[in-house]
Amino acid sequence: MSTDKPHKKRDIFIDGPIDPAFVAESIAKHATRTDIGGHEIFLGQVRADGAAGTGDACIARTAAIDYTAYRDMANEQMTPIREEAFARWPITCLHVYHSQGVIKAGELCFFVFASAAHRQAAREAVAYVTDEVKKRLPIFGKEIIADGGHQWKSNT
Amino acid sequence: MEVKLFGMIAEKAGAETIAVAAGTVRELRLAAEARIDGLAAMSYAIAVDRRIADDALKLDGNEEVALLPPFAGG
Repeated sequence: MSTDKPHKKRDIFIDGPIDPAFVAESIAKHATRTDIGGHEIFLGQVRADGAAGTGDACIARTAAIDYTAYRDMANEQMTPIREEAFARWPITCLHVYHSQGVIKAGELCFFVFASAAHRQAAREAVAYVTDEVKKRLPIFGKEIIADGGHQWKSNT
Repeated sequence: MEVKLFGMIAEKAGAETIAVAAGTVRELRLAAEARIDGLAAMSYAIAVDRRIADDALKLDGNEEVALLPPFAGG
């Protein structure tokens, strides 16, 4: 694993769901970084919500979310969030991935991973970055309803 | 100028882009709302060169412009 600099530009998007094996590999890559004392991870998973307006949540549930993004803007907006996290907490590295495309209920769509010498910095950085990504990145989600139809997800 | 459309806005327009003439973000907003049914009633933001812009910003036609419905990442 190369050292992660806050200014490094990268693409956070992964086509399709985030494979749990990819999460495991990401953790394993940090074994050489013996200055790290703790890792903190947030994993977002697509939830089978009851569709709004249906009285019975068992009838119409979210089967999947089809994520699209204004990819160039989202990657650019990630840079200040990353810089804010590195400025506020003494973290050694930070990794963020978000899915694009159809992600079924139960699959992973969002992966935020920070490492630090001590747990508090990693915990707080992950909480901050997770919230800011949801607020500031132009990512759009079409909830595909199990019995047909769709509705648009909104974080606001 | 070409305007990129995303999510629910692209769905309403039935297109990934529309072409409008506008000298400010406010003019762009009004032109887009005249073109896309239901847009005026929606909550959305306008991005100019990949940053959220306000109505007063002037446009020279060379910017990358996009209409963004509510964000839903995570």
